[in-house]
Amino acid sequence: MHLLSVSITNFRNITEAHLEFDPDGTTVLTGNNGMGKTSVIEAIGYLATLQSFRGAPKDALVRNGSPSAIVRAVVNTEGRHITIEAEIGAQGRSRTLVNRQPVKRRSELHGVLRASVFTPEYVGVIREGPSWRRSFLDNTLEVLDTRNEAVIVEVDRVLRQRAALLRNGGRRPSPEVLTTLDVWDDRLARSGSALVEAREALVAELQPLIQKHHDALAGASVPVTVTYGRSWEDDLASALVSARDHDLQRGITSVGPHRDELTITLDGLPSRTHASQGEQRSLALALQLAAHDLATARLGSAPLLLLDDVFSELDPERTRALLAGMPPGQTLLTTALPPPPEVEAARIYRISLDGWTMENPGGDGHGVAV
Amino acid sequence: MPLYPGPLQDLIDEMGRLPGIGPKSAQRITFHLLKSPAEDAMRLAQAIVAVKERISLCERCFDVAEDTYCVICNDDRRQTGTICVVEEAKDIVSVERTGQFSGRYHVLQGSLNPIEGVGPEQLRIKELLARLEEEDVQELILCTNPNLEGEATAMYLARLLQPLGLSVTRIASGLPVGGDLEYADDLTLARALEGRREIGNA
Ligand SMILES: [Zn+2]
Repeated sequence: MHLLSVSITNFRNITEAHLEFDPDGTTVLTGNNGMGKTSVIEAIGYLATLQSFRGAPKDALVRNGSPSAIVRAVVNTEGRHITIEAEIGAQGRSRTLVNRQPVKRRSELHGVLRASVFTPEYVGVIREGPSWRRSFLDNTLEVLDTRNEAVIVEVDRVLRQRAALLRNGGRRPSPEVLTTLDVWDDRLARSGSALVEAREALVAELQPLIQKHHDALAGASVPVTVTYGRSWEDDLASALVSARDHDLQRGITSVGPHRDELTITLDGLPSRTHASQGEQRSLALALQLAAHDLATARLGSAPLLLLDDVFSELDPERTRALLAGMPPGQTLLTTALPPPPEVEAARIYRISLDGWTMENPGGDGHGVAV
Repeated sequence: MPLYPGPLQDLIDEMGRLPGIGPKSAQRITFHLLKSPAEDAMRLAQAIVAVKERISLCERCFDVAEDTYCVICNDDRRQTGTICVVEEAKDIVSVERTGQFSGRYHVLQGSLNPIEGVGPEQLRIKELLARLEEEDVQELILCTNPNLEGEATAMYLARLLQPLGLSVTRIASGLPVGGDLEYADDLTLARALEGRREIGNA
């Protein structure tokens, strides 16, 4: 799978842009901050996942005053050219077409365009609350096997139905409410257990890869452990029964996949609270690289690598280590500063007030090796 | 924002209240009607009035009906004793197209959906229970949609009805998961009906 080109209209601060990428190597987007480099990455990421990797609501993606944003990409998948086109409405209506056929589920896109995204914000997977780490696992599961999407969507939906029932049912629920609760709990126990088993299997596969990438980035072997912690013991069905009185009183679901935690330790200490900023960044990158490796191995081809402003946050040693260990495949990276000398750019685009212009790699005095 | 003359704006507002029609479509449909010949618009208006005046819900099964009872309940050749439970009247059309079912129906008028405030009391479940004895029902086929809410509704009904000693079956899996009955093709739905199974209480 290779991304050949992207056309962007009224997306964020971009009025109009058309970019063509090197199909195998690295394309660099450079220029001052605030000009739309990250928006290009975000637009491509949107086509792969139908959501913003910044967690922005859809209407925030549409340029102020425009009725809709349009992102169109041409992808080469095993010799076939496929066009993906997304229209994002300012008033919430969005649609996506693959070769002019409407897409109903996110997972339909995984077979067409896959991307691994790295941004400075991704350090949140180490630094922020457990929901970041659960999302990391679930997003990876979706990319690895589209069937996982159905389970993830169902767990989310059951939890919302259960929450509504607990909220409306009151503290002294009627027998009808209790029987319907049995039904929702049965669904939650089934799909929730399936999701957690999938997450645990994923963690076991990721662990050695995370260790490997972290060793490379840190330039030393420091033990990293990744442990999935369930919010219940034994089986989920009986845990829901035991928690029921408590849940009815509080109006919440206190056990289940939405309350689980992924604990990552560095040298025996919890990384969320005890690792330095630099260590947290290396760990976050190691997690993303591990997921990228797994996707490449499982799917037989490397997802498109999108690196947004990654170097500004890394010290020179870690930057060198990252570039030395870069996975093969098509890469798109943004940088406000001149890219580090180790970047082998096949194509460079510079954004200015006049729009995007292509530069001759190596011929512009940036010291970029070709 | 400029408003249109009263009657025009009224129609746009009414259109906009219909399911699946946003403000833009409401405007487009209204202007289309404005441009169409008077007879065309009149036929549409009369069709709407006729539906509201002549169509009501069957007093037995809550299918749409022109009389007290629907066409199916009025048909003597339909077998009594077997009821196919569906969410909406339009689902009856899907099951009828398969030609695999010759009993009567019961339309729940929805599915369990706490987010939308729909619990058992909002569905026609009491009426279903009343029919069991009146019509000496032996078998119930739960034909709710193969999505989360439809499955939950089927499971709820199974828990309610199985202790009463009748056969409660659920259409077989194989239907596209997460979908609506109306999107299943006839053959798939026919197979699902044929392969229906006693619903598990697990
Ligand atoms: Zn009837």
